[in-house]
Amino acid sequence: MTSRRGFLAGLAALSLPRPGWADAGSPAYLAAGKSGEDHVLHGVDEAGESIFTIPLPGRGHAAAAHTGRPLAVAFARRPGTFALVLDCITGAVAHRLTPPGGRQFNGHGAFSADGALLMTSEVVADTSEGRIGLWETGGFARIGEWASGGIGPHDLKRLPDGRIVVANGGIRTDPKDRTKLNIAGMRPNLALLSADGALVDMAELPAGLHQNSIRHLALLADGVAFAMQWEGDPAEPVPQLGRWSPGAAPVLCPPVEAEMFTMRGYAGSIAAAGGKIAISSPKGGAVMIFSAEGAPLATHRRADVCGLAPLGADFMASDGAGNFWRATTDALLLLSRTAVAWDNHIVPVGKPV
Amino acid sequence: MRHGIWLAVLVLTAGPARADYPEVVRERILPGYAAFDAAAAALAAQSAETCAAEALRPAFQAAWDAWIAVSHLRFGPVEDEGRSLAIAFWPDPKALGAKAQKALLAAGPAVLAPESFAEQSVAARGFSGLERLLYPAAPFEADPCPLIRATADDLARMAHEVNEAWADGFADVVLTAGQPENTIYLSENEARQAVFTQIMTGLEFDKDQRLGRPLGTFDRPRPELAEARAAGRSLRHVALSLVALRDMTASLSPGAVRTMAAYDHAIALAEALDDPVFAGAAEPGSRLKIEILQQAIGAARDTALAEVAGALGVDLGFNAADGD
Repeated sequence: MTSRRGFLAGLAALSLPRPGWADAGSPAYLAAGKSGEDHVLHGVDEAGESIFTIPLPGRGHAAAAHTGRPLAVAFARRPGTFALVLDCITGAVAHRLTPPGGRQFNGHGAFSADGALLMTSEVVADTSEGRIGLWETGGFARIGEWASGGIGPHDLKRLPDGRIVVANGGIRTDPKDRTKLNIAGMRPNLALLSADGALVDMAELPAGLHQNSIRHLALLADGVAFAMQWEGDPAEPVPQLGRWSPGAAPVLCPPVEAEMFTMRGYAGSIAAAGGKIAISSPKGGAVMIFSAEGAPLATHRRADVCGLAPLGADFMASDGAGNFWRATTDALLLLSRTAVAWDNHIVPVGKPV
Repeated sequence: MRHGIWLAVLVLTAGPARADYPEVVRERILPGYAAFDAAAAALAAQSAETCAAEALRPAFQAAWDAWIAVSHLRFGPVEDEGRSLAIAFWPDPKALGAKAQKALLAAGPAVLAPESFAEQSVAARGFSGLERLLYPAAPFEADPCPLIRATADDLARMAHEVNEAWADGFADVVLTAGQPENTIYLSENEARQAVFTQIMTGLEFDKDQRLGRPLGTFDRPRPELAEARAAGRSLRHVALSLVALRDMTASLSPGAVRTMAAYDHAIALAEALDDPVFAGAAEPGSRLKIEILQQAIGAARDTALAEVAGALGVDLGFNAADGD
């Protein structure tokens, strides 16, 4: 028998909009990490305080936040055999994504602006040829795939006009253990795909830098900033940052000479905010801040720092010791201390990615 | 001076068995930089007296010895303003140093004046720069004397700045780790971690760079790439560095008996090796001895990681050791 209260509640539920991120506490970011022996995904506010925690079955790499619904997709580390769609209100695993036979997730993903499509960076396991996996977001069924335009795609970003930029890292890896197989002949690139997956433009690095794996991206007003990881001789000074406006050649942005080895050839994350670009190096223990044009502005040292995201006109940074920082051009300012070793990336919620 | 008070407190409160990162600061880092400062100052003073290479070489060798004893320290003031690169720019596979130095050799006194010289390429300065001037492979196209003096003075300036910055400030930063006002080291373990990281990267540098570069591969050995080859110091750097790293580890964690044994084994191999610039890298028999030393350093590193890191509760860094 339907009670009046139950009837009214049902009516209210029908008329209410679908749950949004506000129902999950309005986190500003998603961040994966390790707490004791447990792997976790946290929703975090702009003060670096945790809003929710969801257990993960293994070490995460990056996450993707749905543009409207409180859903997070957590990607396993490479070679990724699964990704989890997490309900950030209940913490439940809403869907488990398994790449089709012969494919592996490769670290990152992005939603279309309307949230109807999830795009995942993937490789053909045997060859590391890049694919962008396509998933509808009602039941998260696989609906197709595109060529990524290169080998070993890692990060991908959606431009405001719906086109997609892919960082094809160029590295062929053993499907079982991540062993790098083609360092001598690797050729990373930046690929621009149309909203329906056609290769529109592609850019490579100048000769001599083909061993600088392009791995992570941040959106700029006129294109993307990209962060690289050097696979060549560590004694060669190479830039970790570049900018690319499709249609033009990539522009490399080296640090000042005195800091040319500070990052140890390795940028782990990148973000753009307030007319600035930040890159991080956990291996070098430093965050570098550049102007949006690529001029070096500041270097801040912090052991094991990696995660980066916009924080107003500054940056949010995280480290493996559990701290969140505000990174300004002047300094690193401590925001919060936690017991979670924060993993590679901080993913903004409700911002174009 | 604040650090003086701190050291006094530590001396009073530390029992004989105490060992930790403050002991590393007090017993190794501060004396090490003081010795480097003094040796670099002596070299600069002598270069003011004479530019004769043979006359300067003993002071040059002594200053380089003093640097190698602290060259594994890559945190704090030595990392500011590019000092560690400007003091010792090696390895240099693209010969950036020689190219930049060639331009300086022809430069006038304005460029060689201290303020201006400090702004010149880090690749051209420091010990490797002086080595090219004091152990030249070919006759100079211009009188090297002004550049020798400028480089020696610049080196002494940097040595003094690092020593002063540690003694008058950064030692305090490390020793007050975990105190509320300390925004560099938020806990004592972060300071411990920082010190441990120096040991790991120092051993890796000895193994992969100081030995790995001249070894090259079996099919393509590269003895000509050995560090400080012209000055005949390649093996000496490995031996001095191992002793310094062992001493630093002993101050941090003297109970690490397996690690100490691994160090002693590697040091004994280095001292027994009769191949000062690793010329033997190209000959199978003598190459094997260098490879055995390299393996012993790798074993010391792995042992320290297992034994010291475990005992101290430190590691290689959650993200730094991983990468993606």
